[in-house]
Amino acid sequence: MELIFKIIGIGMITCIAALILKPVRADFAMLISLVGGVVILVMILSTITNAISLINSIAERTGVNGELLSLVFKIIGVGYLTEFSASICADAGSAGLGDKMLLGGKIVIMVMAIPIITSIMNIVLELLPS
Amino acid sequence: MGVEIIFKIAAIGILTAVVAQILKQTGKEEIGTLATLAGLIIVLVMVLSLIGDLFGTIKTMFDF
Repeated sequence: MELIFKIIGIGMITCIAALILKPVRADFAMLISLVGGVVILVMILSTITNAISLINSIAERTGVNGELLSLVFKIIGVGYLTEFSASICADAGSAGLGDKMLLGGKIVIMVMAIPIITSIMNIVLELLPS
Repeated sequence: MGVEIIFKIAAIGILTAVVAQILKQTGKEEIGTLATLAGLIIVLVMVLSLIGDLFGTIKTMFDF
């Protein structure tokens, strides 16, 4: 529960530090907001690990295809990183670049999702009374 | 890992700004720009190592 207070605290401190440095050194302000983002992400990652292990254990018991599940986690990772870097770019003032990174991330996710789509198609085709 | 790295970078930023300002007053303008560049490079190296750790943890965690 106290994790959220830590996150808010670090977010506030980063904003204030970036604000102080913005008129003096604009590039340092951007670096500070980037580092603040990284610190918050690292804190969140530690809580995601036990969520992922829980999902894995449930998947084994229900017999879901493990390979597909790890693909889903990869896609989550890609989405995670793309959103993080796109918002940093938008924060630094180059919003166009951030949108291009989002587009790239979407395409990478689509390409990674092709095996999932094919497996769904196979399952559906088996159900149909051909 | 946390607040102190933010304060460290903020301190380096303010320090380089002050040093550049002082050097500008005393007339050594080009050394001021070099000092600012040095400060920027130091901060970049720190930020890069931090991002490297982040990508490492994400790679191991989402089993890329």
